[in-house]
Amino acid sequence: MGKPLWRRAVDEVDRRVSGPVEAGAHSDLFNDLVTLQWRLARGAQREVERRSRRFLHAVNLPTATDVRRLSEQVASLQRQVRDLEDRRP
Amino acid sequence: MSPSLAPADLLSRVERDVQRAVRRSRNGLRYAAGTTRPKVGRTPKDVVWRRHKAELWRYRSDSRRYRPPLVIVHSLVSRSYVLDLYPGNSAVEFLLREGLDVFLLDWGVPDEADAGNTLEYYVDDSIPAAVAAACEVAGTDDVNLLGYCFGGVLSLLCAARHPELPIRNLAAMATPVDFSQMETITALIRDGRLEPDDVVEPTGNVPPDVIENGFKLLKPTAEVTQYATLWENLWNDEFVEGYQAMGQWARDHIPFPGAAFAQTVEGLVRRNGLVEGTFELGGETVDLKKITRPVLNIMAERDHIVPLAAAEPLLDLVGAEEKDELRLAAGHAGLVAGRKAAKVTLPGIAGWFKEHSDADS
Repeated sequence: MGKPLWRRAVDEVDRRVSGPVEAGAHSDLFNDLVTLQWRLARGAQREVERRSRRFLHAVNLPTATDVRRLSEQVASLQRQVRDLEDRRP
Repeated sequence: MSPSLAPADLLSRVERDVQRAVRRSRNGLRYAAGTTRPKVGRTPKDVVWRRHKAELWRYRSDSRRYRPPLVIVHSLVSRSYVLDLYPGNSAVEFLLREGLDVFLLDWGVPDEADAGNTLEYYVDDSIPAAVAAACEVAGTDDVNLLGYCFGGVLSLLCAARHPELPIRNLAAMATPVDFSQMETITALIRDGRLEPDDVVEPTGNVPPDVIENGFKLLKPTAEVTQYATLWENLWNDEFVEGYQAMGQWARDHIPFPGAAFAQTVEGLVRRNGLVEGTFELGGETVDLKKITRPVLNIMAERDHIVPLAAAEPLLDLVGAEEKDELRLAAGHAGLVAGRKAAKVTLPGIAGWFKEHSDADS
């Protein structure tokens, strides 16, 4: 028994659409747009953090940057413990 | 005009369709509610070596008939349970049944503490230590090494930098060596649109969603056709189990340690260092010609993540006299999971290792 009609229709649409969609997603223009979107999102995130920092510190709350610094310090400690473990005979 | 059906045939077809509709509804509800998540990676195993987050597992077996043991080196960007999906659909289970002594080197899930892990950390420290541990546990003088995906790159680099390591045979599965052929997935970083630091998150690692989205962009419409295939086979319990397990794995990426990522981008992607012979580790150029043990290159013809052209040049790059290749009509994960893997890929891989190993008398 062959494929049902609906499935043949889906495959046909996919056959016609996937080529152009893939070509679009792999084009320079698309890559430039993704890069732009990436940079804008990063920039917006930094700006939100910068603006919220003063308020959060005023009410004695840690900011994302504070938490990040702390986790970097913890990670650094973990790495030192590892190094010590590795040096153990 | 279609031929008319006998009443008995018509009745049995209606009965079958009703049964399928019931099963489709039941499986659809379970799938939507997420109540039947597949239990993956269930083959019994023991942790025989551990270093930081990396673990070496030895799978239990009563039928080990070949030596040396097979050590599988997994990739840095995905979960290793793709090699042991679920009973009846597990590469590990198959290899054990074939009499091989199977070890798997799993890297764990990196966090901030692993952000500084360089490729040297894996290639010069972890893999050699895991190989030594496997020899000790199995009571052998050497091992067979099988690298999957980026684990294949790590295995090749390790074998090239440490010719003294007791590796009898080396196999690379779905392993990219010519990174110029991976244009699509590397486009954003190859041409400098993004620098490695742009992609790295505050933990110092490349977040898993970046890797997942990179893979999705390779075939943007694939998800739609996959859902259509699921709907078509939703009545089939076995299919749904496999679909869920593979779907779970495909969405279950892990962070890529930032330092190793930066080296990969600079040395492998931008300079195509393995093909050009310019890739440096630990201040020395890596020469794949130093790999003189028998090498097997296992490639998937329909692999959209590591295209054939990216994996193909391996045998020209290594110095081994005895080199073989297996080309299989499968996709990236289809090499190790699914019906085709059990019928074609895995027997080919197991056969090659068995031919190149000693059978217990």
